[in-house]
Amino acid sequence: MHATKPRVAIFSLSSDFGCQVQLSNFPEILDTLSTFDLVYWQLVTSAELPDTYDVAVIEGAVTTDEQVVLLKTIRETASCVVALGACAATGGVPALVRERGLLEEHAQTVYGPDADKVAKDRREPAPLSAYIEVDFVIPGCPIEPLEFSRVLQRALRRLVDNPQRQSLCGECKISENTCFWLMGTPCLGLVARSGCEAMCVSSGRPCAACRGLARDANLDAARDYAAAMGCDAVAFGELLAIYNAAQEYAREHAAESAAGTTGKREAVDV
Amino acid sequence: MFFRVLKKDQIPTFIEGLAVDYEVIAPIAKGLAYVFAPVTCGARVVLDYPTTIVPPTAYFLKPKEALLRYNSADGEVVETVKDDRKRILFGVHPCDLNAILMTDKVFLGDYEDPYYKARRESTLIVGVSCTPRQSCVCHMFGANEVLQGYDLYLTDIGDAYFVQCSSVEGAQLLDTLVETREATAEDTRALQKHVARFRQTLGEAPDTTQIPLLFDARYDEELWEEIGSRCLSCGACSAVCPTCYCFDIVDELDANGVTGSRVRCWDSCLNSQFAEVAGGHDFRPTRASRVRHRFYHKFWAYPARYGKTMCVGCGRCYTACKVGINPSRVVAALQGDVGEGEA
Repeated sequence: MHATKPRVAIFSLSSDFGCQVQLSNFPEILDTLSTFDLVYWQLVTSAELPDTYDVAVIEGAVTTDEQVVLLKTIRETASCVVALGACAATGGVPALVRERGLLEEHAQTVYGPDADKVAKDRREPAPLSAYIEVDFVIPGCPIEPLEFSRVLQRALRRLVDNPQRQSLCGECKISENTCFWLMGTPCLGLVARSGCEAMCVSSGRPCAACRGLARDANLDAARDYAAAMGCDAVAFGELLAIYNAAQEYAREHAAESAAGTTGKREAVDV
Repeated sequence: MFFRVLKKDQIPTFIEGLAVDYEVIAPIAKGLAYVFAPVTCGARVVLDYPTTIVPPTAYFLKPKEALLRYNSADGEVVETVKDDRKRILFGVHPCDLNAILMTDKVFLGDYEDPYYKARRESTLIVGVSCTPRQSCVCHMFGANEVLQGYDLYLTDIGDAYFVQCSSVEGAQLLDTLVETREATAEDTRALQKHVARFRQTLGEAPDTTQIPLLFDARYDEELWEEIGSRCLSCGACSAVCPTCYCFDIVDELDANGVTGSRVRCWDSCLNSQFAEVAGGHDFRPTRASRVRHRFYHKFWAYPARYGKTMCVGCGRCYTACKVGINPSRVVAALQGDVGEGEA
């Protein structure tokens, strides 16, 4: 360990702050906090955002022009960017509005006739990766605090992140759950990113793929299976949209993002 | 070897007696299925279970276990205390008994695995006969017969079990904890009847003598592409397989960023990380190549080394696989018995 601890800033974009609340929800947070200097966290302190920091932890989906500007600044400042939670990682629930094409309608409902004044720089909700390169992802809705701690320790050291790629059914089998599909209930474990030990299925709820799609997911084969079990492509798509509506969008923008701001890649001095 | 007859109503007493000094792992109901789990209440045990989700080999090679604890600040390493708790695996089917003998070859052979060995040596095994299900193809791979690998073996002969005792420890436990009687000629006939019925249910075993040769010759089949296109890459097949033993080892830092655990966890060759090496090169970049690899390990590589196919026909993978990838159909497809789309 070097004398100077890495400086961490935690940012909030558009979300319900649930993942940040999770951060205060586990006893080990005190251990984790001792490993870095927390220089900015709007949720718990009124300290101003400093000009420099090493690691940026960002919660929430990107929903305004202002946030896009902030994101680019963060990427240029921090040597490491960590997406915290489903909204930041996949667009999460906010991105559901895209799939339904209801952004304008919702803006009118929420803000009334002043929508264009109050929320004039609104954008279709998107994950961080639609605009900047993301180094580490802590997925889930909400995040699992101990996973935050594990991933953050890797981020602080700039160790290689190599998250699991297979879809969830394998882990769910190890947890010895009865398959929801066999009980007539669609479950997204077929394509969901694993790493949660199928905790929802183990607790009696089907998987909603809140951790995003597995990198190895075979969507076509999963759709075929779902259809054969009476859940057609539309119904399957609607389930998938709850947390992954922005997936296609993220892919489209990946090239654009890589060509633009890629951020700094030097190691943090730990 | 000697034989006893144990009334079925004695089983709960037997299990509860065993549970005094041993951790008893036995099949119990969970959801719509059955699982091996620690039991202390004999009434919960279901000995005529169809199969379990995860195989009993999970009690020798744990899905996840810490091998050592480390401190990255001072470099101190403390090995995890080996798990040599006295344990009994109660109610293991013939296929799973054969599977344990196969993983023994791997973990107790040229490179002894101390963690596996500690558990294996402190565990007694009580086998139990079964009624084959539709998905069972144990006879295809000779895993329907059990000649060794158990301390006691119970065969269902109606209202009692015909008990084969093959270890002193097993026999002593049986004689101490429950009332049994000597097996009579009539009991032996009942045993033979069970075996005949068991064989009849399974039917004639398909020819498997040429399997390794067949795999050798048909490496580039279109079949693998077809199966690969369906594979969900979830690893459910390897998670439930009693002979799959591949694992990964990862270092998990604690929240304090200083101490941590080196953890061994089950891995799957269906996972695209499995054959990826430093620098990012992936030896099996496609789903088809990964599915094929799993089959080649079972039906070609393991037999080449140990003289047996590494499949016991338990049917778990086929049942767990959402897209119906079925080893016996794959073998049949390679033999040209069914169309490729049906594998």
